[in-house]
This record gives sequence, structure tokens and C-alpha cells, in this order.
Amino acid sequence: MGIHIVKRDACPLWKKAVLYVAAVLFALVIGGVLLLAMGVNPLAYYGRMFTMGMVGNKIAYKAFENYLKVFVPLALTSVALSLAFKMRFWNIGGEGQFIMGAIASATVALKLGPVLPNAVTLILMCLAAMLAAGLYGVFVAALKVKFGTNETLMTLMLNYVALYVLTFLGDTKADWNFFLQEKSARPVFESFASFAAFPRIMLGKFGLNICVILAFLVGALVFVYLKYTKHGYEISVVGDSAGTAHYAGMKVNTIVLRTVFLSACLIGLAAAFKVGTAGVLSTAITEDVGWTGIIVAWLSHLNTAVIFVVSALISMLHYGSIAAAATFSKVDSSFANMLQGVILFLVLTAEFFIRFRVVRNKKGGKQ
Amino acid sequence: MPEQYAIEMRGITKRFGTKVLANDNINLNLRQGEILSLLGENGSGKTTLMNMLSGIYAPDAGQILVDGKPVSITSPEDAKRLGIGMVHQHFKLVDVFSAADNIWMGREKSGFGLNRRRYDEIEAMAKKFGFDIDPRKKVCNMAVSEKQTLEIIKVLYYGAKIIILDEPTAVLTVQEIEKLFAVLRRMKQEGHSIIIITHKLNEVMDISDRVAILRKGQYITTVNTADTNEQELTEWMVGRKIDLNIARPVVEKTRPLLEIRDLTIKNDEGATAIDKVNFYIRGGEILGVAGIAGCGQKELCEAIAGLRPIQSGLMIHKGDNIVGLPPKAILEKGISMSFIPEDRLGMGLAPSLSITDNMILKNYADAKGLFVDRKTGRADAQRIIEELEVVTPSTETPVRRLSGGNVQKVLLGREIKAGPNVIVTAYPVRGLDINSSYAIYDILNQQKQDGVGILFVGEDLDVMLALCDKIMVLCHGKVMGVVHAHKTTKEELGLMMTGALDLTDKYEDKPAGIARDTNITQEQLKAAQEEGEN
Repeated sequence: MGIHIVKRDACPLWKKAVLYVAAVLFALVIGGVLLLAMGVNPLAYYGRMFTMGMVGNKIAYKAFENYLKVFVPLALTSVALSLAFKMRFWNIGGEGQFIMGAIASATVALKLGPVLPNAVTLILMCLAAMLAAGLYGVFVAALKVKFGTNETLMTLMLNYVALYVLTFLGDTKADWNFFLQEKSARPVFESFASFAAFPRIMLGKFGLNICVILAFLVGALVFVYLKYTKHGYEISVVGDSAGTAHYAGMKVNTIVLRTVFLSACLIGLAAAFKVGTAGVLSTAITEDVGWTGIIVAWLSHLNTAVIFVVSALISMLHYGSIAAAATFSKVDSSFANMLQGVILFLVLTAEFFIRFRVVRNKKGGKQ
Repeated sequence: MPEQYAIEMRGITKRFGTKVLANDNINLNLRQGEILSLLGENGSGKTTLMNMLSGIYAPDAGQILVDGKPVSITSPEDAKRLGIGMVHQHFKLVDVFSAADNIWMGREKSGFGLNRRRYDEIEAMAKKFGFDIDPRKKVCNMAVSEKQTLEIIKVLYYGAKIIILDEPTAVLTVQEIEKLFAVLRRMKQEGHSIIIITHKLNEVMDISDRVAILRKGQYITTVNTADTNEQELTEWMVGRKIDLNIARPVVEKTRPLLEIRDLTIKNDEGATAIDKVNFYIRGGEILGVAGIAGCGQKELCEAIAGLRPIQSGLMIHKGDNIVGLPPKAILEKGISMSFIPEDRLGMGLAPSLSITDNMILKNYADAKGLFVDRKTGRADAQRIIEELEVVTPSTETPVRRLSGGNVQKVLLGREIKAGPNVIVTAYPVRGLDINSSYAIYDILNQQKQDGVGILFVGEDLDVMLALCDKIMVLCHGKVMGVVHAHKTTKEELGLMMTGALDLTDKYEDKPAGIARDTNITQEQLKAAQEEGEN
């Protein structure tokens, strides 16, 4: 007597939806138990978290603006990563590429910002960030193409190289280091918010950052690129079977280099959006989007439209936990990371049940 | 008292998902000390049924009796304990281990350390059964037939009394098959009971005492081999009358379309895979390439398609040298190559993509502008589905969801759609059942009648003898001769495949593989010779 697993042919949409919702609810229950153990009322906490502190808040629009600041880099990074993942190129170097993009765009802002008009500075910031991040990413692709190195290890390790370069810039007080404030005795990053910041479209009191619109635009372009263009087709074929791509006369190496460059470029663009909105560098500039983006891309099955929805939800979790931490001082905002992990785990479990059924073995011997 | 069978399966049912009924109420019995053939088309449920005996799947319903006692087999360990051993179609061996270690690692209570006596013990045991094997040899250095021998020794070492072989002859030459059958007959005399799965009817007639037939998951019948014939077996298997003769239409031949001279190619390891090979293909003929698996066929196909650099030699297509051209340019000249590898999906198709997307694989770049033209691709897919009777829910179904025969029809359909003048096709019927195989032969014959030159790399000598006009035999990358299919025999081909017979100089006035009315100019030859000398 026992159980065995049977593959399903198809799972109706409603069942999928029920399973996903159940997974998320179950994750919240687990989180709730932990909150109870800490002596916090889970309902109150979740209420605060999911409204992101906007209910009963006189400056709720401010909270939503800040939420979008979390959402844009995450969504764009996830979209960018999905390009590489579609080709089965395991780019887990989003962090490193983001940091390189951030440093490049901050350089442009600090050096050229004071002399150039804001719009020109912003465009140059974006281009510089895309180029820096793109080169940082394509370097790994070149090694893979040329020497067959493992891109997972290479991109992973280059994340730390980038992070320590940024930390070095942030800690080193020196004449050449224009990233830090000259006047401060302690090492503090110089702000450039006054002369290099993305404009906002004012809708009443609420200012819609132009980056939000741009992010959606890039998302739509990537969607079309992957689904309808020759390049997108090549990416699918190379990802599915490099041997077949080669056989069909595709230049596989060129496609790999091109796609990884594009993927890293878009991560750089996300970094430029982030830097140009924050107006200052920081050693925590990435807010882990390079990591979270991987989760978002896979939770969305690399579907560009779904990536935006999932990014919105995950950002809600992160921003909401920060907002809730203001009321519930016992609960650190890291709670969001924990909850995100549980949700990912349970959604994967739900996917298992979407693909398989568990059946009890029928007793043999009886006819 | 009823006869006591070695194995009795009663009312076995196995479902995959809700739609696929792999085995429906199957009754099968295996007598003590007999060889039973299990016959059926692809997807008729043979392997599924055997996997339930070897503990890989558990039946949804039904009962299994071993030596008259009901048993429950829920894991391979259970099967082993009951004395049931299976030699799978895809060998389950660790490449970097020695023969002895591959056997040793599955032994129960083999202890913590590796016993040095294992080599002697296994050698002695192999001798006892009449096998010749070096226990210290690593699996990765073994030929296919050696690996198979090792698999058989392995199940015997674990004490199996009942041995199941899943398509054991698919990878062997004629001589090796005879050797295997001798081993099986000896095992039978020693009291082992054997089930053998095969598609090849002549082998069924040759080796088995009885034949059990499955069709589409249903049990049809079991008959004594002596009381039946190939025609009758086919009808049971397919469910209707079928003509077993492969047609070989006579077509007016053209001048050589593709000529290969002194071609030398290296394999991935840098060893010579194809060694100074000469041959030519005319329009309206099928040239078969016979040879033991892995003696240069793959490298040859890849070189012609421009996927593999050559060391030296000439490849002349209608008088133009195609050496060094990129794959795309060779495609545009009308040379199509399709290679069905052992996993049947590796080259030529993108398995996760739809039929439509696979249709446009070779010409997607011709569409104007940035976008892919899926509309034409979909129409092509629809036409091929109709013309070649591909069974699929829609044109948007991923290719990997189709069954083997349909996958191969899609691949061949795409190649023909482009209107090639030379078709290089390797193992196009690999693993296909009779029905689908004949559909593929018809497609190739149709192309031949349209004046296309076909290079057919095959496995089954019976098929090649019937289908091809001429057959070239390769042995370790060297040509052993090019013979007329209607003038040669299986035995002769077998001897050439193993290198025992060399017919390259059979006709003194005409070396094998060089056409009298060649398109190759003296300058081209001279240039190639000079290059070869450098």
C-alpha cells in the first residue's frame, strides 16, 4: 500500500488559479504563525503591509510614489533577465550588472550633470549605464562562447567583484574619489538630485515618475521582440537546442553575445532609472533586484506580461513590510524576505500539483 | 492442475494521465525456459508492460504471479529479489566505471570498501556463462555490443532467472545479432525464461518459441512461432492487411549530383572518423550507407551539411566545390540533411517549439523586415499535417509532445518542402513502427522519382536491401565497397561492415565510388591533391 504520482494532461485555469491563491494564502498563514509567536497580531500587521501604510495616511500618494520606486527597477531587471533565461543562459549576475550600471550613470551625473541640461544628462546616464552593464555581462558570454566557461559561476562571482568596487568607492576618502562629498569628513556619497533627476508628471499631488512609463514601454518592446521578431525566434531555438540552431545555419555565438548584451543593457537601464530617481549612490543601491528578479522571472514562467504583475506583488511585499515596520517595531522589514521565500516555495509546490496528481495505489490481487 | 508459468500477468492496466491508456487489461504468460517475443508497434505498450515487471512502474490494476505466487513489485529491488532482470534499450551503465564496478555497485551487501577480488569473481562468473569480457575495461571504451553483453552479465550476476530484453538488436550488426541469439539459446537451455522486445519480424521467427502481440495498449493474442508467419503477425500487430514489400521504382538516373573524393574528417575527439572516402549520388537513386553504429556516419552527414570542417578532400555539388561553405549556403544549393540521433530529437528540430516554428527553422531569415513570418509557416505546417497524415492536436503543438513517427514526418516534411535536389537522411525510421516506416519509405521513393539524389544512412539491412539502389559500406571510416542492392546479400554486407571483406577493388577498371561521367574537373582534383600533400 502506498501512493504514487501521476502526470496530468491538462489543468483547467480555475484550478490553477485556486492552487496559486491557496499557495499564497498558506504562506501568509505560516507568516501569521511566526507573527503570533512574536506577539504581533497578524491581521493588523498584514492589513498594514498590504495597504502599504496608505490607509488613513494624509500623504498616501507619497507612499505610492515610493512603492513605484521599488517596483520599476525590479520589473525591468526581471524582464531583462527573462531575455537571457529564455536562451537558457543562466545570468545570475543581475546584481553585478546593476551595480556597474549604477556607477556609470552616477559618474555621468556627477561629472556632466552640472554643465549639461537635465534631459541630456539623463539620456547620457541611461546610455552609460547600459553600456557599462552590457559590457560587464557580455564579458561572461564571450568567455562562455570562446572557452566554454560556466556562466552561472562567472556571473555569480562578478556580482561580488562589482559589489566590492562599489563599497571601495563608498569607503575611500581620496582626492580622486568624486563619488564622495568633498566637505564631509566621513565618507558619504555625493548627491546629484538637484541637477540629474527624472521628471515627474503631476497628477494632482501625485507625481508619476516618467521611469514607470518607460519601464512599461520597454516591457512591451521586449514582449514583441521575443514573440514576433527574428531575433526572438533565434533566442527560442538556441535556448531549446543549440545543435538545432547551428544546423539551421544560425550564428549561435553571435546570438548568445547579442542577447546577453541586451539583457545586461536593460539591467543597466534599470540601474540608471534607480540612480536617476534616488539622486545618490549607495552600497545598497540594488535592493537585491538582481536576486529577486530571478525569482520573479521564473515565477512568471518568463512571460513578460506576467512579470509585471508578479513584480508588482513582490514589490508590495517589500515596500509594505517597510511601511509596516514603522508601526510594528518588533518586526524587521526582513520579514518580507522570509515571506517571499515561503511564497516561492509554496508556489513551486502548487506547480507540482498542477502538473501531477497524487494517487493512492490500488491493492493488487483484486480484480 | 494448470500449468505453472514463470510469469503470469493478469488483467494489467496502466494509465498515464486521463487520456493515455498504455496497457488495458493485459494477460501475458511466460513459460519456464522459453523465449517469448513481445511484438507491437510504437506506443502499443510493450515497454510500459515490461517496466511493470521490472518495478519501474506500478500497475493501476491487475495481478502479477511469479512461479504461481502472487507478488507485488513496487521497486527494482523487488524485481531483483524475484529474479527478474531487464536489459533496457538505453543502457544503464556508468561510463567512467569498469565493467566489474558497474556490476559490483548494484550488489546487495557489497560492503563499504571495494573488494579487490571483484575482478576475478566477475571474470569467473562471465566465463561460466560463456561470455568473453575484460572486467577491468571501462564502459566508455566499450563498443555497443560489449556494453550490451555487460548488461546481460549484470542481470545474470544478480541471479535473474527471468530476463527481459528491450529491443536488444537495434544497435547490433548481423554477426553480433547471431552471437546474441546464441547466448540467448544457451541461457534458455540452462533454464532461464526470456522475454525479448523487437520490431524485426525475421528475428521474431528466428529466436522465439512463442509470440505475444499488443496493439494500442490492448492484448491481441499469443501464438506458437512455428504455427505462424510474418504476414499474419503483421496483420495482428497493425490490425489490417499490409503489403510488406518495399517498392524500388526504377528511375532514369542523371549525372552525378554530389561527388565526394578522398574525403577525410575528424571526429570530436580528433581521431579520423572518415578516411579517404569516395562516393557519388546521382539524381533518381538512393545510395544506402551501411555500417556499425558510430563508424563515421554522423561525421559524414555533418560535413556534407557544412556543420563540420573537413581535413582534406573534395565535395562537389553539380560541379561546384562546397567545401568550406557555411551551412546556410549549402542549404541554398538544395542539399538537405536530416539526422535522427539516438534520442530522436537532438538535431534538426527544436522540441519545445511548435510545429509551425519548426517549419520556419531553415527559412525564417528570408522573411522581409524584422519579424518572423509565421503565417506561411502555419500554412506549410497545415499542409504537411494533411499530406503526411501527422497526428497532432494542432499546428501549435510543441514537437516533443508528438509521438516518434509524427516527429520524423514533420522533420522529413520540412526538408522536402524546401524542394532539395540532394537529401541526406540518417536513420529516418529509427525506432518507428511498420506503418510509419513505410510512410517514410514512400516519401523517399516519391522524391527519388522526382529526380532527387538520396543518401540514406540506415540500420536495418533488410530495409536497405529492398529500398536502396546501391549500398556503400563503411567500416571504421573507410569504404569497404559500393555494391548493387539487388546483387548483394545480408551476409556479404555484414562481412564488409566488420572489415572482413573489402570490395573496393572488385572492378579493376573502375575504383568504387568514382563516377565515369564525373563533373569534377582536373583542376579541382589537382588543387585538392596539392592541399592534401601540404
